Amino acid sequence: MNGKKPVGLTIDGLKVQAAEGTNVLRAAEQAGVTIPHFCFHAGLDVEGSCRMCLVEIEGLPKLELACSTIIREGMIVRTSTDRVREARKDVLEFLLAEHPLDCPICDKAGECRLQDYYDLHGLYASRMVEPRERRDKKVPIGRGLILDRERCVLCTRCVRFLRLVTGTGELGMFERSLRSEVGIYDGRPVDNNYSGNLVDICPVGAITAEDFRFKTRAWFLVRRPSICPHCSRGCAVIIESVEGYPLRRSEKRVYRVTARENPAVNGFWICDVGRDGRHDIDDGRHAAVSEKGAPVQGLSWEKALAGVAAAIRSVPGPERAGKIAVVLNARLTCEELALAKGLFVTGLGLDKVFFADRKPGPADSLLLTSDRVPNAKGVRDAGFTPRLPALGELAGAEVLLVFGSYILEHFGEEDVARALAGVPSKYLFAAHTGPLDRLVDAVFPVAHPAEKSGTYINTEGVRQSFARAVRPCPAVVAEGAILACLANSLGISLGDADVR
Amino acid sequence: MPENGFRLLPLDDDSWRLEAYLRRGGYETARKVLTSMAPEAVIAEVRKASLRGRGGAGFPAGVKWGFVPKGVSGPKYLCVNSDEAEPGTFKDRLVLLRAPHQLLEGMLITAFAVGIRTAFIYVRGEYALVARRLEEAIVEARSAGYIGPRLFGTDLSLDVVVHLGAGAYICGEETALLESLEGRRGMPRVRPPFPAVVGLFRSPTVINNVETLATVPQILARGADSFLSRGLPKDGGTRLYCVSGAVRRPGTYELAVGTPLREIIEVHAGGTPEGKGLKAVIPGGLSAPVLLPGEIDIPMDVDSLARAGSMLGSAGIVVIPEGTPMLDVLHATARFYAHESCGKCTPCRIGTSWILKIVGRLRRDGGRPADFDLILRLADGIKGKTLCPLGEGAAMPIQALVTKFRGELERAVAR
Repeated sequence: MNGKKPVGLTIDGLKVQAAEGTNVLRAAEQAGVTIPHFCFHAGLDVEGSCRMCLVEIEGLPKLELACSTIIREGMIVRTSTDRVREARKDVLEFLLAEHPLDCPICDKAGECRLQDYYDLHGLYASRMVEPRERRDKKVPIGRGLILDRERCVLCTRCVRFLRLVTGTGELGMFERSLRSEVGIYDGRPVDNNYSGNLVDICPVGAITAEDFRFKTRAWFLVRRPSICPHCSRGCAVIIESVEGYPLRRSEKRVYRVTARENPAVNGFWICDVGRDGRHDIDDGRHAAVSEKGAPVQGLSWEKALAGVAAAIRSVPGPERAGKIAVVLNARLTCEELALAKGLFVTGLGLDKVFFADRKPGPADSLLLTSDRVPNAKGVRDAGFTPRLPALGELAGAEVLLVFGSYILEHFGEEDVARALAGVPSKYLFAAHTGPLDRLVDAVFPVAHPAEKSGTYINTEGVRQSFARAVRPCPAVVAEGAILACLANSLGISLGDADVR
Repeated sequence: MPENGFRLLPLDDDSWRLEAYLRRGGYETARKVLTSMAPEAVIAEVRKASLRGRGGAGFPAGVKWGFVPKGVSGPKYLCVNSDEAEPGTFKDRLVLLRAPHQLLEGMLITAFAVGIRTAFIYVRGEYALVARRLEEAIVEARSAGYIGPRLFGTDLSLDVVVHLGAGAYICGEETALLESLEGRRGMPRVRPPFPAVVGLFRSPTVINNVETLATVPQILARGADSFLSRGLPKDGGTRLYCVSGAVRRPGTYELAVGTPLREIIEVHAGGTPEGKGLKAVIPGGLSAPVLLPGEIDIPMDVDSLARAGSMLGSAGIVVIPEGTPMLDVLHATARFYAHESCGKCTPCRIGTSWILKIVGRLRRDGGRPADFDLILRLADGIKGKTLCPLGEGAAMPIQALVTKFRGELERAVAR
């Protein structure tokens, strides 16, 4: 309990313990009792305005808010008495009285608290016969976010997020009473690297993202946890995708990346760079082994890899150290890096093992780091001292294995082409298509981090293992499998390093 | 009526001037308190006097002061609630216009008792002229050394700042007042923590109504026993009763707490005009549930009205004459709360507007008895579930109007 004193209380007859200072809502949640709520969010301050979390606390005459009531020793809380259920029903009826009920065209449908709570706590016949307020239904508020004021329940999570978390305060409350509305200030749209979280935290369909609007339905998506590979923070994410192949026409695979709670790393949020990373999983991917820049139908990666092994074997043992060059990257998992170490350094005894990665970018003060790779710490942890090769060092090689096409971020395309022109055997292992493809003999389609399992060590040294979140296209293979297969065909035992 | 005539409201034109106040013995009580009494003794005396808050809730002032944590370093604040916005209430305005120094003296004593050095007077925006006079009085008091540093030769001090609101009923709610004073939208805060512990600028804060504070000097001048010789043991002294509507002499009357409502209307305010019978009385500002003519033999004090299912509130008495269509009264009431709901919490924001939509439709198109059942049900859905007392204040008078005038209302909407 983080060194805080445990406090004992009773919730719905269950004896539970929670850390001192916890509110009733969180304490109940930890004990498996869900108290419905809209405005409360554990990453924000307490607002107490939605009134949905009213519960009975023994000794107090009125219903109390579970979100603002701090637990006390011996407290007796009841969350499902008739009085509590009646109050929830009342609050829901009020919220839905002015709600447009446009669920069939609402992107939040299927994961909307209004829907869920109506099913669990509402189920009344509507008594609202008065005309509902008409409000703006598609207000662009910046960064591809669309605000629907008819759906908004005024929980102010978005307003508070921008005030407390990013400190940018682009959204505010305007007008009062029934005319109350969320909005941006004149000419100052939402513009920060955390804007996508507004969609995640909106409990209803009031804030939606253009990127996701009307593209699919929430219930078609499979949600699997992963780690964001776009900087060295290693934020916990959820990859939401459509299962199975083949995809229907115009169907995408990954529809969105959302934040997953991890108090040790990213709290509740992820940045827009990571969220936009969904494009990285789907767009511009290799789907088959290609040779001389063109996909070869029917050529499996195993078969193609035999050529790589043959090229390596053709270099006499004593000359390998200087004549075989390898370029690795920090998107590889710790397990893959261990295999690479065992194969290239220990097994083949290569001198020329280099690293090329994405260039650093500007960090922000919240989560995004300037290091735009997920496993820089893992590279050092595996015993590598990463160094970018000089083009001359690559040009002198007889066999060149390049993992990732990041070398082009550091050298001009023509310079790289010149350097590679004299290399007799050269292979690229890349997830995405790019100009490097036509400069090599063969390209092996490798997995995106979301498509593999492994371990990354983040900028603070937190070691995080993750499982495959998206099934890759059938021809795609993880680098780990390539490294292991190569070692097998070369007769190199990776021993303990082979962690498959 | 107190023997010494009007205590809070002197009648002469320049009564508000410092000179006139000093002639009446002004600031002598504060001098005595600040130079010779212990703060705890002041709180004890006010507590003994059973001074109930004059703003609406009727909470004992001395008890409220006692909630401020002892021995905290850092600032504490006094906020004077002059956001007098409850319909039917106009007493604080008169105190500010005619006896601003008496308020200031009450503030000095209160600030001393609680250990406060900075006070804010939150005046509703509509009282701009009143605020100007208050500012003048503060200038007078400051130049005479009654506020500012080294009060009465001690090392005590008090700064007073006047703040003008921007016209929102909700800002009379104490936590919304604090938000407004801090420069944000006037919307209530979640309690606990209560302002006495975490108030203005997150510091312990005492918030009292104008009349409450203006009553304090009298208690310390003559003692709690003398104060209790009028009023009731649990609700001492005199109060300012505002009478408006169908009476011959509408106005503000200072009378002993517990004076019967009938006496206030019929004797002091002269009763209803010739030929007009009494139909209903709102006893304590619009939020107080309406009373029928048969219910006005009731002492006007906090507890008696609560027992009768109504509320003394701000003691703003609105007299409704026979012939008034109660559907109109219901509509005006519903419209006021729907308009003034701050919109922060769900039941109040949507409940009050929903009720207004129904009442508006009933007036326009007529309706069925079941519409009134729904109004009662919706009011019940607001009551006890809102963030601040405004929800209760909206639901209770609407329920009372519908319940007590159900027959008339049903006839009025039958088409």
